[in-house]
Amino acid sequence: MSSKVLAFINFKGGVGKTATVVNIGATLAKLHEKKVLIVDLDPQSNSSIWLMRPDRWREHVSKGRRSTFQIFDDALHGKARFDFDETVVKGVVTWTGFTDLPRLHLLPAAVELLRVEDRIHELRAPVVYQILDSALGLHFKEYDYVLLDCPPNLYSTTKTAIFSADGCVVPYVPDYLSLSGLMVLAEQIGEMREKFAPYLPPRRKPNIAAVIVSHYRQAGNVFRLAVNELELSLSQLQATGLLPDRAVLLQPYIRHCVRVAESTSEHLPVILYAPGSIGAQDYCDLTQRFVDLFESKK
Amino acid sequence: MNYSDLSSRLLHLGERLAKHAGKIDGETLGRSARRLAAHLDAFEEHLNSYLASRKSGELLLETLIRSPAAKRHLTIDLLKHGLREIAGKRLKSEDLPAAKREFIELIHEAGKQEKGVEFLQDAFAQAIHVEAGGKDKAHLQREFVRLGQLADEEFAQEIGKRTFGELRRVAGVNGIKFTDKTTKQRLTALIRRYAQRAAVNIAATRVPSHS
Repeated sequence: MSSKVLAFINFKGGVGKTATVVNIGATLAKLHEKKVLIVDLDPQSNSSIWLMRPDRWREHVSKGRRSTFQIFDDALHGKARFDFDETVVKGVVTWTGFTDLPRLHLLPAAVELLRVEDRIHELRAPVVYQILDSALGLHFKEYDYVLLDCPPNLYSTTKTAIFSADGCVVPYVPDYLSLSGLMVLAEQIGEMREKFAPYLPPRRKPNIAAVIVSHYRQAGNVFRLAVNELELSLSQLQATGLLPDRAVLLQPYIRHCVRVAESTSEHLPVILYAPGSIGAQDYCDLTQRFVDLFESKK
Repeated sequence: MNYSDLSSRLLHLGERLAKHAGKIDGETLGRSARRLAAHLDAFEEHLNSYLASRKSGELLLETLIRSPAAKRHLTIDLLKHGLREIAGKRLKSEDLPAAKREFIELIHEAGKQEKGVEFLQDAFAQAIHVEAGGKDKAHLQREFVRLGQLADEEFAQEIGKRTFGELRRVAGVNGIKFTDKTTKQRLTALIRRYAQRAAVNIAATRVPSHS
């Protein structure tokens, strides 16, 4: 199976990284019959507790054992305790107690991941970059899409994700604070590309493949102007070579939708919780564009 | 629990029951068995109806026709066109819910489920509206930033050279909302204000030279 491994990154928080990962992942699984793996790398564990009830999640990842923390802990201690099959959660449990979306799999995170950043610098390059790739690379091949939900920073955990990924997807809120971070992000990824180059397979070059706008509101000028400034910045970054020409601003923009926020409390993707909502419709259309982009249909 | 787990459990239970069926009895067990049989009847009924509505195990067609994408993009005309194209048949229903049911039935009858899925996926993909902004969008965006970099006098001169229609195009492409009642003077002020802002914000994201 030819899998697409994509890192969802932005070192600014609150830009909709997790919402994008969870809802695109669920829509790919349900409407496109894709086999999808979400890898939660954020100590806040938001993807995990969105898709799992908190009691089940807490029990599952107790002491970090059956979570992505174990991958990093193993690397730090030279052990191999991470077991993919016992860590992976298959499908989403609905309130009936039965699972839906059997094609959507999750490697949950645990708060213990917070401890990783303090010690991971003990490992040297290239080992430190290759942690995820070494632990999960073979399993990635079983999926059509692997979506890496990164923490809101560019520290080592995120770097391992960028190293493993075929491309980066940047969720973005249309405001100046996000805009100001975009250039730094593109620059940092450019630096990583150079640093990783000797250790990467020939065709893999970390790059921003797509930018996704969320929390969009149509009222007034505010968001239209901010998206225009984003487009101008992207053109500028492409002109300077920091962004590849094929990097795209994916449409439609995800509009603010209270049903998406509500679906986090129901521990379901919006496509299952409120399929008639504008949130579900926007994610359906966006996922179609996502498939078109990454499978080069159009 | 998932449906595979349930099926393994039922198989295991069935094997144990078959092995001991000749030796077990008693009122408590009997009452419990009767309750289980009643629940199994109800479950089988639901399962049969679920599978019957998804003939030959083709689930994606039904999933797509009930999806959020269908809610936004699916019309009777589209279904009529699809049915004619895929199965060479005419859709009779005049309201959308009935048309959806009829579409599924006739597609199944014709055994063209895969074609039906393909048709719906393509139709949804084509229906997504993407704002392209016209072929001169990039040019008008660059122009907007350039206008924002000009001093007041230069800006006034540049604006003086343009028709109201040209200014409306610059404003529209660059995210400025206006109505038919917006005057040229008001539109000029809006362009001035937001072009300056864009110029400052974009300059701040410019990549610094390392040399």
